[in-house]
Amino acid sequence: MAEFTLDCLGEACPVPLMRTEKKMAELSVGDVLVVSIDHSCAMKNVPEWARKQGHNVEIEEIDDGEWEVVIEKTK
Amino acid sequence: MGQTAGPATKSTRTRAPRKPKKSQLPFALLATALVIVFGFYLNYYNDKMVVYLLFGISFGVILQRSRFCFTASMRDPCITGSTSVTRAVLIACSLATIGFTAIKYSAHMKGETIPGMENVGQISLALAIGAVLFGIGMVIAGGCASGTLMRVGEGFTMQMISLFFFVLGSLWGAHDMGWWRAHVIKDAPAVFLPDVFGWLGALLVQSLIILLLYIASVKWQEKKMGSAE
Repeated sequence: MAEFTLDCLGEACPVPLMRTEKKMAELSVGDVLVVSIDHSCAMKNVPEWARKQGHNVEIEEIDDGEWEVVIEKTK
Repeated sequence: MGQTAGPATKSTRTRAPRKPKKSQLPFALLATALVIVFGFYLNYYNDKMVVYLLFGISFGVILQRSRFCFTASMRDPCITGSTSVTRAVLIACSLATIGFTAIKYSAHMKGETIPGMENVGQISLALAIGAVLFGIGMVIAGGCASGTLMRVGEGFTMQMISLFFFVLGSLWGAHDMGWWRAHVIKDAPAVFLPDVFGWLGALLVQSLIILLLYIASVKWQEKKMGSAE
């Protein structure tokens, strides 16, 4: 049940999504990944991808135009 | 939508406190006031310009709020297999088809010149090569034309570089387009579908193509992600 962070600040689509995809493959079930994003398009497609994969997702807007996507790996 | 239950560890996570940011509301009000003043200024010259301004601003607001992204519609099926944005673009295309047919057909029925006919472009190999080059560019830049403009408005600094080169490239393209037309694509055909299939036929053919693409994108996502949701 470890927690990992992924800093994608300043990265444009689709880099955050691809990095999240790669990082999630390394995690084991139950681990949590926190992705920091400041690109509004990535804020949409990263959670969407993770939800479609069946993971638990939560989005927090921590500042104007800056989000943390919390993904819990479920499988 | 999928599961909305939050991870159990959420409550235990801590974050370094940040200093609170100033409210951006004054800027929003100032920008709104400036847009209204600019509208009156444009109206002084030409009464159509205000309509253009309103359409432009509405388009920007809708793009920003809906995160409608033409780049993602072409790119996400390749990266993740998700085609939700692709399908949104296809629906938008079908609505635009109906709208543009209505505008053009009513002009045709009244015997007026059909608006927008100068945009019926020639189909050539140069078009296909140009489209592929644009595709590579928009994936590297992280946004197509409208997406780049919208994100510059949001304040995404990296995309201001994209905008600079987007303007540079457009100017270069506009400068050389006459040469390309005169030397490379002069014999390429320009197809206006109603000339080929008739007005109703063109509407049906285009709708059928969009429908087939829609079915294909549903199948693609089912294959790649296991669900069409």
